[in-house]
Amino acid sequence: MSANGYTKEQVIEALHDIAGEMHNKMLKGDPPTMTLPVRTKQNISFDSKLGVYKYGKKRSTRDATSLGSARQLLRALHVTEFIEEMIEAGKSSTLREMYYISEGWGHGKFGSQNESNNLAEDLEIITKCMREDFKLRPEEDGARIIGNITFEERNRRGEWMRINCRDDVGDSGYGVPYNVEFEKLRLVDHDVDFIMAIETGGMFDRLVENGFDESSRCALVHLKGQPARSTRRIIKRMNEEWNLPVLVFLDGDPWSYRIYASIAYGAIKTAHISEYLATPSAVYLGIRAGDIESYDLPADDLSSKDIQALNAELSDPRFADAEWQEEIKLMLELGKKAEQQSLAKYGLDFVTDTYLPEKLAEILGR
Amino acid sequence: MSFGLWEDLKGVVAMVDAEKIASKQKQISISEFFEKNKHFLGFDTLQRAVITAVKEAVDNSLDACEEARILPTIKVEINKLKGDKLELICQDNGPGIPRDSVEHVFGKFLLGSRFHAIRQTRGQQGIGITGVVMYSQLTTGSKTHVISKIKSDNSAVHVDLGLDTRKNKATKSNEIRDVWFEDGEEVVNGLKIKTVMKAKYQRGRQSVHQYLRMTSIVNPHATIQLTVRDGDGEIIDHGHWIRTTEKLPRVVEEIKPHPHGIHLGQLQRMLKEADERKLTSFLRHNFSGVSMRAAKEILSRAELDESRTPVRIKANEAQALLDSFQEVKLLAPPTDCLSPIEEILIKKGLSKAIDSRFASTVTRKPTVSQGNPFQIEVGLVFGGDLAADGPIEVLRFANRVPLMYQQGGCLMTKALESVNWKQYGLEHPGGKGLPKGPAAVLIHLASTNVQFTSEAKEAVSDNVEVHEEIRRAMLEVGRGLKNHLKKSKQKKKAQEKFDLINIILPEISRKSSEMLGREEPDLSPVITRIMNAVFLEDEVSWDNDAKQNICSVTIYNYTARARAYTILAKWPEGEGVSMAENPRGGRKETNGLWAWRLDTLNPGESAEIRFAVEGLTKGDWNETDIFFRGNGDIIGANKIDEKLLDEMRKVEALVVAEAEHSRDEDIGSLERVLDRVEIIESLDTSKEESDSETIPAETEGASVESGDWGSLAMEDDAE
Repeated sequence: MSANGYTKEQVIEALHDIAGEMHNKMLKGDPPTMTLPVRTKQNISFDSKLGVYKYGKKRSTRDATSLGSARQLLRALHVTEFIEEMIEAGKSSTLREMYYISEGWGHGKFGSQNESNNLAEDLEIITKCMREDFKLRPEEDGARIIGNITFEERNRRGEWMRINCRDDVGDSGYGVPYNVEFEKLRLVDHDVDFIMAIETGGMFDRLVENGFDESSRCALVHLKGQPARSTRRIIKRMNEEWNLPVLVFLDGDPWSYRIYASIAYGAIKTAHISEYLATPSAVYLGIRAGDIESYDLPADDLSSKDIQALNAELSDPRFADAEWQEEIKLMLELGKKAEQQSLAKYGLDFVTDTYLPEKLAEILGR
Repeated sequence: MSFGLWEDLKGVVAMVDAEKIASKQKQISISEFFEKNKHFLGFDTLQRAVITAVKEAVDNSLDACEEARILPTIKVEINKLKGDKLELICQDNGPGIPRDSVEHVFGKFLLGSRFHAIRQTRGQQGIGITGVVMYSQLTTGSKTHVISKIKSDNSAVHVDLGLDTRKNKATKSNEIRDVWFEDGEEVVNGLKIKTVMKAKYQRGRQSVHQYLRMTSIVNPHATIQLTVRDGDGEIIDHGHWIRTTEKLPRVVEEIKPHPHGIHLGQLQRMLKEADERKLTSFLRHNFSGVSMRAAKEILSRAELDESRTPVRIKANEAQALLDSFQEVKLLAPPTDCLSPIEEILIKKGLSKAIDSRFASTVTRKPTVSQGNPFQIEVGLVFGGDLAADGPIEVLRFANRVPLMYQQGGCLMTKALESVNWKQYGLEHPGGKGLPKGPAAVLIHLASTNVQFTSEAKEAVSDNVEVHEEIRRAMLEVGRGLKNHLKKSKQKKKAQEKFDLINIILPEISRKSSEMLGREEPDLSPVITRIMNAVFLEDEVSWDNDAKQNICSVTIYNYTARARAYTILAKWPEGEGVSMAENPRGGRKETNGLWAWRLDTLNPGESAEIRFAVEGLTKGDWNETDIFFRGNGDIIGANKIDEKLLDEMRKVEALVVAEAEHSRDEDIGSLERVLDRVEIIESLDTSKEESDSETIPAETEGASVESGDWGSLAMEDDAE
């Protein structure tokens, strides 16, 4: 069973509804259509019940009056057929594999991997299923975790394997699999006080080398830039099931703000499943715009793209609260951005001896 | 003005020639003359010397072949030697030079300085092959080896030529008569020159390769081959341009000069050499466009007695005569002395050298500027292998001779740049300079008197009439390009729609029905909803077996209503080109436009028109324009402009009348025809665009003279 609890039959039925919409239109003499939510920041809104951002009511209709849209409709049918076959055969494939398989779909073949990824997302949104239900795996790289926590992962032989993320792993940590749902991963035990998600590999390794996980009693999660779905999902599960606070430690630039938003509020692209992925209680630790001045960090000037991104964030509903507006405006005012590793200006131990403890005291009150 | 200088120079040399410099007068050394003037003789740099030498040899070969009505095959071989020296070998299959004339042809400067009779020749533009002999002798001390064979002789003459620069005469040595073999075969007629000169071979825009490539474009009847070897005998550059037509250029008529195009020095020489006893007969016999009445009027205005003897006319009287030329209305000079390449051959020539998707060519009618007949031809190629970034390539020609230097200062370039290319689909930043894009433009000026900016003869000098003619020709090819681009875009759009309803939609229907286990829906109402238009597809293809062009036009009614149309197709009607098959019949609408009335097309129905055209060769006709009469738009065709069509019919009728009358010898009727022609011309000019840049291109296309069918379309094109 999957995160949302759909059965095989329910998944197939949901997919068939897409074909049904097309067929019904043609019966009436109209061009076939596919209706889906608009996927822009203008169409996400805060769901107070779930505490995350979800798609709003705006719908767009893709109809087969232009070649491009007609192709999309045909592709959706091909993908549906393909998913059905996989469900029946108990197989799964990566999105990339599906892209190559589409070579054999004639006019339904994808022009680029991006197209196939987007269509998979379209289908998720329309059916409210997750791509795990479709037996589609992402290519994306899952995170790595180091800290005194214990998982049970079901291996290829179907056996549950117990792994402690401090004692049973090497320096690279525990690799998060693409599927972290209940049928694949169990959260067994932990002896930490919080989770710290880190943007860059360099900083992750610095904290590991300095033994920060032990000294501060936390689990370190390396996000690898914009975090994959499984990374966000496992953070969410640790937060919910173990009731652990999540702190997010990123670079101080407009793109890091977006990474934080995707962890805490949900990403625009995956707003249909925000409630499975987002951790509303996650806290943005740093680098804050104010840190650049108060710690006198080496900083770069904002590029025109950075400024564009910040301005876009000002009108993004996820950054609508006063604190974020202030943060973004401050960065615009300073015209500067700083990397996590700029803390090394004060020595290799500065981050673990001074910066993080000061921040933790501020946030957790310790 | 500069041309005058050149004429004077010619005069000097002619005099040197005529009076034999051995006379008591101050001796002019020809080699000194050469040395002093080598910059405009084309031998000023080592790189240019070899181009000039090839040019002189090849131009001579082409002229000779043309006169002898032989399809030219020319081989050029360049071998690098030590110390900046090159061996140049040029061989043709021309008529050859009779043994006794060899030293005359190769040994005299500025052969054929024609100031009594003028005509359009290539050789008009160069110093002549003598310059090559002299350059070789001056720079390397070598003789030029010549082999010549004329058909009527049993053997060829082989001879080494040098120049006696004091006597302006060739010196012959090692002359023998022998059979001439090339590649194991005896040569029946032809000429071969082998010479060694100080020169450097270079590649690029100004190279022998480019010169020959350009030459082959404007001489589609010629096969030209180039081989360049380095010191080790390795081939470092080559080119092979094979003829694309067997049709030789028309023999050009010599004409007498027109009074409006003459200057004082020339007039004085003509007076001096005149045989006539009276001025009236002098004027009538030596000039074109001068009737008895005009001759009398000229003389009375110049206050010269009709019976004066031309030889005795003094300089100030000659000036008066010259002035009165301008005051008297004269008949225009004949224009049959010009040899245009002609549209279809320009197309072939361009396709021989440049791989492109689209070619639009225009041959303007001959016209006259200051007594000199001239004619403009323009070709534009687009797409294919042409580089998309950077300025377009400009190929300039004067009397079929490529102009390779001073592009920026040339009238042709200026006229090209004066067009706003943006509205014809080319990038033209700021509307200044050369437009950008995957295109090349050919400009050919054919004239009995090409005026250059300098004696280097590489750039045509400013002239309002020539500029305007070139500009108009550009606008015509520009419209052709615009039309083509629009058509390609429409075609692509229509093709997408067809793919959508013929392939994708049925697949969506089949797959969704299968998946749901339901019956397939009837798609015809869906198709009508999606298309909601009448579509037309046309294609011109080449049937290699039948040697015919097949034009196929299919019209689909994807609307909910029945439609009835008359379809009109443009086709290359002309001499020797006819409809071979046309099962649907129809009727001729006007020259080059055929019309078919179609039965009512019900919703969902389609109809095809197919016809075959013979008399063309592959590649002559690749694209056509389709027009329609009827209600509603057709995607892929334009609504015909009836008003323009009417005018075209009228003009055509007048042209026919003109042709009929001109067959008569009766002067009276000729004058009536001339009146008519004037009417036609005035009709033309009134229709012609005046300030075309400011009005939309479609209305500017109101010119009816050039068969520019694109302009037949109504403004509101189906989109």
